[in-house]
Amino acid sequence: MNFLDFSTIPWYQWLILAVVPPLIFLLYFLKLRRSPLQVPSTFLWTRTIEDMHVNSLWQRLRNNLLLLLQLLAVLLLLLSCLRPGCRSEELAGDRFVFVVDQSASMSAKDTPSKGSRLDEAKRLVKETIDRMSGSDAAMLISFSDRAIVQQSYTTNRSLLKRKVDQIQQTERSSDISEALTAASGLANPGRTSDRESQIDMQVAEGRDAVLQIYSDGGVKEVPRFSFGKLTAQYFPIGSFEVPPNVGITAFSLNNQLESDGQIEAFTRLQNSGMEDAEVDLSLFVDDELFDARAGVKVAGLSSTSISFDLSGFAGRVDQAIPIRVQIDSADVYAFDNVAHCVLNPPRLSNVLIVSEDQKYLELAARTDRVKKLANVQFESPDFLKNPDYEKQTTLGFFDLIVFDQCAPEKMPPCNAVFWGSLPMDERWSKTGQSSVTPIVDVNNAHPLMQAVQMTTVNVLASDMIEGPTGSVSLVDSIEGSVMTLAPRSGFLDLVIGFPLIQYDESGDASVNTDWPRKLGFPIFMQNLFVTLGGQSQFGQSFNRKPGQLMNFRSRLPYPKVSVTTPTGKTETVSARADNSFVFVDTEASGVYEIRPQGEQEIDQLVAVNLLDRRESDLAVAEKMELGYVEIEGTRARVPARREYWPWLVCLAIVVLMIEWLIYNRRVLI
Amino acid sequence: MPENPLPLKSAANDLLPPSLLAKLDRMELVSRKIFRGRMKGERRSVRKGQSVEFADFRNYVPGDDLRFVDWNLYARLDKLFLKLFLEEEDLHFYTLIDVSESMNFGTPSKLQYAKQLAAALGYIGLCRSDRIKIEPLDPVVAPSAPVLRGRGQVWQMLEYLNQLKSSANVPLADCVKNFCSRNTGKGVLVLITDLMDKSGYETALKYLVARNLDIYVIHVLSQEEIDPDIQGDLKLVDCEDSDIAEISVSQRLLDRYRRTLATYIEQARDFCSRRGIVYTMTSTERSVDRLVSRYLRQRGLVR
Repeated sequence: MNFLDFSTIPWYQWLILAVVPPLIFLLYFLKLRRSPLQVPSTFLWTRTIEDMHVNSLWQRLRNNLLLLLQLLAVLLLLLSCLRPGCRSEELAGDRFVFVVDQSASMSAKDTPSKGSRLDEAKRLVKETIDRMSGSDAAMLISFSDRAIVQQSYTTNRSLLKRKVDQIQQTERSSDISEALTAASGLANPGRTSDRESQIDMQVAEGRDAVLQIYSDGGVKEVPRFSFGKLTAQYFPIGSFEVPPNVGITAFSLNNQLESDGQIEAFTRLQNSGMEDAEVDLSLFVDDELFDARAGVKVAGLSSTSISFDLSGFAGRVDQAIPIRVQIDSADVYAFDNVAHCVLNPPRLSNVLIVSEDQKYLELAARTDRVKKLANVQFESPDFLKNPDYEKQTTLGFFDLIVFDQCAPEKMPPCNAVFWGSLPMDERWSKTGQSSVTPIVDVNNAHPLMQAVQMTTVNVLASDMIEGPTGSVSLVDSIEGSVMTLAPRSGFLDLVIGFPLIQYDESGDASVNTDWPRKLGFPIFMQNLFVTLGGQSQFGQSFNRKPGQLMNFRSRLPYPKVSVTTPTGKTETVSARADNSFVFVDTEASGVYEIRPQGEQEIDQLVAVNLLDRRESDLAVAEKMELGYVEIEGTRARVPARREYWPWLVCLAIVVLMIEWLIYNRRVLI
Repeated sequence: MPENPLPLKSAANDLLPPSLLAKLDRMELVSRKIFRGRMKGERRSVRKGQSVEFADFRNYVPGDDLRFVDWNLYARLDKLFLKLFLEEEDLHFYTLIDVSESMNFGTPSKLQYAKQLAAALGYIGLCRSDRIKIEPLDPVVAPSAPVLRGRGQVWQMLEYLNQLKSSANVPLADCVKNFCSRNTGKGVLVLITDLMDKSGYETALKYLVARNLDIYVIHVLSQEEIDPDIQGDLKLVDCEDSDIAEISVSQRLLDRYRRTLATYIEQARDFCSRRGIVYTMTSTERSVDRLVSRYLRQRGLVR
């Protein structure tokens, strides 16, 4: 950092300023009009002046003290234009990692400058960059729910500052762990910065570095992280006092399937401020005001729920409708004042059940609930050899095929359930067989097994299943997994080790399990159709967060669809092998419109919302717990550059005052 | 008494206020040297003459006036002695007034002050039947200056003084030289001037000293010269030769000016005392009455 900064004004303005002192000099002598005064004789005066001129140069200067003072004042002002200053505090260390939070909560405008927290953070980082000496290197990382290395280690400070300016506000949530891993990469090179890699390689000698985190502290917990050679500093951004903020932290519609035409919208409001608040809520359906609530009271540090009745729309649900709820009262954080939801017309999934004896399965698939979910087609295993099967599966007609004690030669391009059989895939294998299989563990957290009670179910014979890498066991017996779910290039395969009905060698059928008699069986079947039948993707409650991949299937198989983002941008996406689409540009929250390419009619809508309680909570954390270390926030910051120009301006004013005094009094010299 | 026109009367009052006249009546001009007068006056001469005041005796030599033989002594000593009496003569009193432009400054102006002073001294002289001559230091006007004698010519003196005006800016030395060339008589000379002559006053005084006159220099300065009250950036214009001095007034400059003035006065005093000249510096603010009755009496010009 230089003592003087010539870049404060352009060069031509410097040129103009440089002319000022000579101009004053000239003007002083040109303009100095001595008033004439007649005296008896200049004889004595001449002798007096001669005396004074004996030590002349100094005397001459003394005579022009006013000029000198004027010049001095102008020079001081010129000097102050050069913005003299020096580094107020040496930055300890020679390597820095600046980690800047760019999550949604950083958009809150509660900084002293009324700018956003991100702007404040960027300003502070740039100040710190200014304080770096020429040989200091720094790295810049921004993070939201992912980390971006904006700039790797460099000594180029202007490049760093440019990169700081390029950090954009996102609407994502906060997760600092990825940023910390990236930051520690060079400081602790023994640990690789690749999270996926298990190999710990000593690539280079670790180097000390200072990690400066600029955030509001509202980040996900980082359970395990060791700083090693990193020295962490945390600079909390945002106001000391928690700003009043009421935000929408949840917005969803009830399940149409369950409530038979009754549509309700649920909204949850959270007040993260200390004071009680009152807000006005508006509900827009298809961009028209549908309902509003005035003066909804939300107590400080608590939340409240509001529901809207949308029953009037039940009959109209033959087209996709966007629904939006918004808080009409403005506050410092705008992202949580609006939430979106969509109401897509229900779509029945196509399910094929291939089974010799379809009694139980048919019974379970003929319930009213399932009828609302799927068109179920029953076929015998001979159908697998039928050309229609080949044709229909290739077109992607089926969303789910259940193979009951049979298996196709080729895996179908859709989700599949193998019930009492194994896929013809070498990655699947039997690890054992038991004649009596007590069920010991059920993974009820998985959507497939939600609300499915299995502990009272008796199973006789079952195969123990081992699936390919990435498979998840849903039901375990003592000897191993009897129900395993595994991904297969975009699809899911569920393999169930025990058949419902077992056939002996003579072909007699016997009941293998009493599961179909239990209450859990139809629930499991419903879960199956919802989760694997693709229903879950069309439900209204289906919600995505900004930045997440948008993986969807069109209602009908299209080769290409166009997606219009809330910002109005339209992109074309090609179907993948499984007839699904992946759209990545989901940074903006709002409603995404998906149309078949070239058509106007909307195929479906997808809502993207942050709806994150942590982001809506604007309280600034005074300290951060990262791994095993607690880092106190550093609020008081020394200005990066100690400026001297205000002093110079004051001095110039003082000089001007002295000049004025001398001009008027003429006694001090 | 001649009839006096009113303007002259008021002018007379200006120059010689009646209150001053009473004081001046009692004074007389003193000469430190005894000069030979031209006419019989009221002061003793170095020459023995015919006054009533006995001076000495001397032996009779043939041809002496027998009227002065002391016959009583002859009767007692049988020798002829001649009685000598003191001669009473008049005094030549010259007043030279500087009439350069610079004398016009001050309140009252230095010229006016000089006129008052000359009138006062002239009046004393006229009262004592001295020969009074007041001349302006102007080679053109000076030769016409009248020679006055006797109380009766007071008005003439005042009239003459009144019509004196500042005029030519001739160097002091030239004027004095001109005066010396015209006036050969010995006597008392009072030079009233501000000594503000860029060519110097020394030559002029040397001329006078050479004439063996009893010289008094009265250095008149106005208050503005002694303690100037000025401010700012000034262009001082000399009223005589339009010379210009540019100054930026400061306390320091004013202090230095005062020192320069004091030095100048000291030099003049020193120069005069070395040559037997009586030097008196006066400000125009000092009244003529006080100057004459006190300062000049101390200096021995009057008694």
